[in-house]
Amino acid sequence: MNPSGVQDRHEPGSRTVDADHDGPTPTVRRLARRQRSDAAAPRAQSELSRGWTRFKRNRLAFASLAFVVVLVVVAAAAPLLAPHSYSEQDLLNGLLPPLSEGHLLGTDQLGRDVFSRLLYSLRTALIIGFTAELVALVIALVIGLWAGWLGGRAESALMSFTDVMYAFPSYLFSVLLVVVMGRSPLSIILAIGIAGWVTQARLVRAQVLKIKTFEYIEASRSIGTGGFAIAVRHILPNAAGPLLVTTSFGIPGAIIAESGLALVGLGVAPPTPSWGGMIVDGYTFVLSHPYLIIAPLVLFGLTMLAFTWMGDGLRDAFDSSEEDHA
Amino acid sequence: MVRELLGYLARRLVRLVLSLLAVSVITFGLLQLVPGSFAQLSDVGTTTLGNSSGGADPSGQEGAAGWLEYFRFMGGAITWDMGPTYKYPQSTVEGLIGEAFPVSLSLAVPATLLTLLVAIPVGMLAAIKKDKPADYGSIFVLTTLQALPGYLFALLLMLILAVGLGWLPVRGWAGPEYMIIPVIALAVQPTAMLARYVRSSMLEALRDDYVTAALAKGGSTRTVLIRHVLRNSLIPLVTVVGPVFASLATGTVFIEVLLGIPGLGRLFTLAARTRDMPLLMGTTLFFALILMLVNLIVDVVYGLLDPRIAHQRRLSGWRRPARPAFLVGSMHRKRSDGGSTRAGPRTASNRPDAVRVDSASSDAEVSG
Repeated sequence: MNPSGVQDRHEPGSRTVDADHDGPTPTVRRLARRQRSDAAAPRAQSELSRGWTRFKRNRLAFASLAFVVVLVVVAAAAPLLAPHSYSEQDLLNGLLPPLSEGHLLGTDQLGRDVFSRLLYSLRTALIIGFTAELVALVIALVIGLWAGWLGGRAESALMSFTDVMYAFPSYLFSVLLVVVMGRSPLSIILAIGIAGWVTQARLVRAQVLKIKTFEYIEASRSIGTGGFAIAVRHILPNAAGPLLVTTSFGIPGAIIAESGLALVGLGVAPPTPSWGGMIVDGYTFVLSHPYLIIAPLVLFGLTMLAFTWMGDGLRDAFDSSEEDHA
Repeated sequence: MVRELLGYLARRLVRLVLSLLAVSVITFGLLQLVPGSFAQLSDVGTTTLGNSSGGADPSGQEGAAGWLEYFRFMGGAITWDMGPTYKYPQSTVEGLIGEAFPVSLSLAVPATLLTLLVAIPVGMLAAIKKDKPADYGSIFVLTTLQALPGYLFALLLMLILAVGLGWLPVRGWAGPEYMIIPVIALAVQPTAMLARYVRSSMLEALRDDYVTAALAKGGSTRTVLIRHVLRNSLIPLVTVVGPVFASLATGTVFIEVLLGIPGLGRLFTLAARTRDMPLLMGTTLFFALILMLVNLIVDVVYGLLDPRIAHQRRLSGWRRPARPAFLVGSMHRKRSDGGSTRAGPRTASNRPDAVRVDSASSDAEVSG
């Protein structure tokens, strides 16, 4: 082996080499795009607004964002849009096929309108996805900032705790938490949020460690700014890009977790609809009435794709430091 | 060398035991928060906190302090004798785990093989066709696939192959034809991850001087690719395949429940739904044990395969490759190293291998 050859490849200057590890989208193209936009953008623009400019150029990501916005609006307006109540049963008209009169997507075995239940399960998924991610983010911010900024004992204690949590697959942990807290929406949110903050806390800590060494932090310290003010005013805004990216992946992750919990019978308690619950209920009739599964599955798949592509676009646009994904 | 290896192993084993203890304490502590005695709690059902609907205590130890129960259980766990479960007093925890684990394993092994068989060629192809449409296309598809949960593929396959075409059974566990859907569904996500990993690993290897040298000697592209590039880029693959296998052996929860496969994941969910404390503790500990053991094996094998890593360890007291550290002690050194490489030129790259492993395994950590 040629050690110098190995070393050369990791010189800070050779950006493309490092970036290849990530490789979610064609790196070279992305870097080229970034450089182009950097050159074009006026200097006064903040990193975030420059990122936004880059993001808008990615058509797939932008369309995905638009789709997510539509989903959010639909979920918020579910009570207005749904033709029926999600829990209203009509046992005489059970298992109606799609396009039946008054039931666009038919009814389930209890005669509940599938379309209405779908809208409400979108609502459930988004509410739980967003809030669970928020919980995870807040925990991660507090712990990551604390660990990264203070260092020393606090850091080693906090980080060894995150290490034990790493040995715990997060779905195991959230199942355990649901067992403890029950199946109310709030406890599902907490279960997913508490189980999911570890990776993000590590990211925050890594960001803080990086930003801490920059000169503007030193300058700020030297004029007597307090630690809290530095953290909020300088470190957080500069860590915003990568945080935005993990958050955008955290939301679909939480939605996956919610549906997964519902699939194994530990999701939001019925009659509140959820994709996982609808799929499990429909499974019994899958051979004769596959639409009971297809409808929630299609909406679930589309939602996941939109979030994924949006997240990829955000990563391309905002995350200037690929190596920070760990 | 051997003594160092043994010392390293001993340290790692001590850590492994300590973190297993931590996991058991967390699990038990959490379950203690449930109001009422474990034995009294029946189905999680539709209710929330505080539902303790009757039921006699089958273990006959009502009123025993929780922590006594913990020590009794842990004592049993060490000797692989965890006693009867609450829900099924006639069968033991270790008996149920022993029945369920082979089932999960029989899904995990083919899924891992399938992953390797598909991911390596795809990743290689993408690397060779770098910056061509085939590369862009495959990377796009791979990132998309990686983001979707396995149970979604299980449902899709079930709808197409079982419901639509009627080739395969819808659910259950009665023969080899029941394995097809779960194995494919399980393999999708790790395949996507691994293929991306192989691609970046290959690209890195392609830049090495020995490739130029081999080509200059007159080796055909194919020979060089297979004999030199692939070989060298597969070494770091060990760090990914191990955890993939471990997560498949344990992490098949959703698919097992969905398709009605009596594996470990379903056992765990069953225990969770019925709040069967011994079974829940037993399966959780078993999961954690497998994950940690595989990580340990990976680290050791990696050191043996790549002498540079072992050399690195000799220099710095068996510094293991950067993988999620499970334990208190190692974190510090490792973290601060990782932090400073990120921080920039402070330590720069005076440890080529460490940097290489760091960046290589970060991919795995993200999706893990």
